[in-house]
Amino acid sequence: MEEVPIIDMKGIVKIYPDGTKALKGVDFSVKQGEIHGLLGENGAGKTTLMKILSGMLPPTEGKIYVKGREVQFKSPADALANGIGMVHQHFTLVEVFDALHNIILGMEGHGHFSKIDVDNARKKLQKLMDELNFQVPLDVPVENLPVGVQQRIEILKVLYRNVDVLILDEPTAVLTPIEVKELFDVLRTLKEQGKTIIFISHKLREVMEITDRVTVLRKGEVIGTVNTSEATPQLLARMMVGRDVVLRIQKPPKEPGEPILRVENLWVKGDRGEDAVKGLSFEVRAGEIFGIAGVEGNGQTELIEAITGLRKIEKGKIILNGKDITGRPPKELYNLGVAHIPEDRTHMGLILDMTVAENAVLGLHWREEFTGILNSIRWSNVKEHAKKLIEKFDIVAPGVDAPVKSLSGGNQQKLIVAREVSKNPELIVASQPTRGVDVASTEYIRNYLVKLRNENKAVLLVSADLDEVLQLSDRMAIMYEGQFVGIVKPEEVTEEQIGLMMGGIKDES
Amino acid sequence: MIDMVVSILLGSLTAMVPIVLTSTGAVVSERAGVVNIGYEGILLMAALFGAMFAETSGNAWIGLLGGAFIGMLLGMLHGAITVYLKGDHIIPGIGVNILALGVVAFGIPAIWGTAGQHQVPTNFRIQPLINTQYGSLSPMIPITFAIVFITHWVLFNTPLGLRIRAVGENPEAADALGVNVERYRFLATVYGATLAGLGGAYLSVDWLGVVTKEISSGRGFIALANMVFSGWNPVRALIGGFIFGFFDNLSVWVRTNPAISQIIPWQFVAILPYIVTIIIVAGIIGKVRPPKWDGRPYKRE
Repeated sequence: MEEVPIIDMKGIVKIYPDGTKALKGVDFSVKQGEIHGLLGENGAGKTTLMKILSGMLPPTEGKIYVKGREVQFKSPADALANGIGMVHQHFTLVEVFDALHNIILGMEGHGHFSKIDVDNARKKLQKLMDELNFQVPLDVPVENLPVGVQQRIEILKVLYRNVDVLILDEPTAVLTPIEVKELFDVLRTLKEQGKTIIFISHKLREVMEITDRVTVLRKGEVIGTVNTSEATPQLLARMMVGRDVVLRIQKPPKEPGEPILRVENLWVKGDRGEDAVKGLSFEVRAGEIFGIAGVEGNGQTELIEAITGLRKIEKGKIILNGKDITGRPPKELYNLGVAHIPEDRTHMGLILDMTVAENAVLGLHWREEFTGILNSIRWSNVKEHAKKLIEKFDIVAPGVDAPVKSLSGGNQQKLIVAREVSKNPELIVASQPTRGVDVASTEYIRNYLVKLRNENKAVLLVSADLDEVLQLSDRMAIMYEGQFVGIVKPEEVTEEQIGLMMGGIKDES
Repeated sequence: MIDMVVSILLGSLTAMVPIVLTSTGAVVSERAGVVNIGYEGILLMAALFGAMFAETSGNAWIGLLGGAFIGMLLGMLHGAITVYLKGDHIIPGIGVNILALGVVAFGIPAIWGTAGQHQVPTNFRIQPLINTQYGSLSPMIPITFAIVFITHWVLFNTPLGLRIRAVGENPEAADALGVNVERYRFLATVYGATLAGLGGAYLSVDWLGVVTKEISSGRGFIALANMVFSGWNPVRALIGGFIFGFFDNLSVWVRTNPAISQIIPWQFVAILPYIVTIIIVAGIIGKVRPPKWDGRPYKRE
């Protein structure tokens, strides 16, 4: 007789309010006492699925069974009460509290007005830590502790509530290699104690090392579940990356010209002060699209922000057309011919409540053609300019005076492309240029990037969409943990090799 | 000389009560993440209705409780808007402050038939614990001390306090652990406004014994400044309140001592509390850290 799985999710569908279909009928089941890997690229739906299991999000459709019993979670507290706890990628700790108070919050003991029994809580926690074979300081405000320790506090917080199932969302993303090793030791101890662990990751090596079984998700669907002992990184990579129908892109062969952008030994720190970009060197030549692929969060954002003057450079040099532009402010870079299509159009690319015309000249508004007496804006010229862009780029908009938020995502993105290109740049830095954009606009934007390349511009493309990078790039780099695993020509590699490289493994064969 | 010191000390204790009560309430409210700038209006309305309750019931203590009740109602209004309807935290406070101006200007003639101000008869006022030749000691002074120390203890030692602080620092973390963010925010808001109401009634039925349109004279705002000065800590708000009370009282003392007010115009001393506020707040800003989610509505994604 088949044993009843501890977790059984059936036909889970999740449609977000904006219409995004994140999960398309997912079946997912976990056995008691196993470490189960949940593998997939960004946007595959791993986190969404687990947020549903942990009560953070309600599913649009589908049923959840815990030990064979159907459950409905209205909040994370409901899931905890059913023995399911999640450690999120972004920690939810009260920074000014110490570990002890963070952990006991919500189950401090009896009565609102009785004194919290700190000594008793400390004893219980000490016992828990002894069992797990690790220690955290209980009396220091958690904001003063390193990320690895904060993560352990999150794990303790969940275990203190006697959960059976522990979900970890990309737990190694913020850890140093030594901390990863220590985390894995903790996970093995937990497994010995009979706990079930769901381990979300995109890192093949880690999944191979720690899990018993792996379920691979791609674009909201389950590709399959395999026993780790029977899997190879190659197999998982193929399952994870897959390949779907490609859009038609016309890309004539072209000999690249002189280097436009040169990056030399670049070091950049991330928001948490960690090294996000670790000594990168590369160049982007005129008439070339240089693509950077890789799972998000491997330093791409920091790299782009450094090149466009938005982030401090710790070490290294950035050279544009032979001129050292390291640490120059964005406005100067734009004047020197850098255009930037930022990764997040609603926050960085546009001001949603302002009109199409206003957005069409952001960053150009100080130019002579748009200014009049006392630097006031010459609206007639601004509107004229916006109208031209709308026509030339086939942007569907109610008018130049309509707020930008009334445009569809694809048309918003086209407006950004139009604005940036109208700066007549030498180098176009395009970050996730077609994310959340409809098919027609995607094709338009991709073709436009190729057109720019054909006009001898240099294009630096960063995308989490592997197909996009493969199709557009003349050369591509795969970025992993702040470094390039390799620089290759798209036509010379297999998807399996790229999948492995995205997981941090360089295929030597 | 000793008389003068004792007299100023007693006066400072008397003057600190409304500021300390309001500050303590504000500390709790903001620790839970709810900003309320309507304390000035609450003080004013509680002073008016507190006197009315005292005179109609014939009991000064009913007046004090009535003032606290008015504060509670206004706190519930503020809590409903900011906590449950996820509204802005500043606008309702401005609304209450402006409303109070009208309510008091209209209320004094409507209730007592006098224009501008109303003297509360002595028998409807709280009787002092001790009367000395240097001044008197109101029972509200020890009560204020007790409220401050109890609030402080609850805030830092009990599950209730821990949850209040958690929802003001990181409501997401609290929510994930099953803490009802809205409930604790609402309770803290109501508690804060209730203490301000008590402080307002103290102005009319105890200390000053009068209702005027300007009776709060900015004490609601001074209390907020004092809250910042305290670093959102009730006991330190008591100390800060004493300092503010000292200057507040000093101006009254100068005004009533012709010998001194001939040398220093009393109008000059009267601006001292406000100047001290500016100096203290300017000196402290950036050095203390407010609760992280202070003034931000919380909505689960």
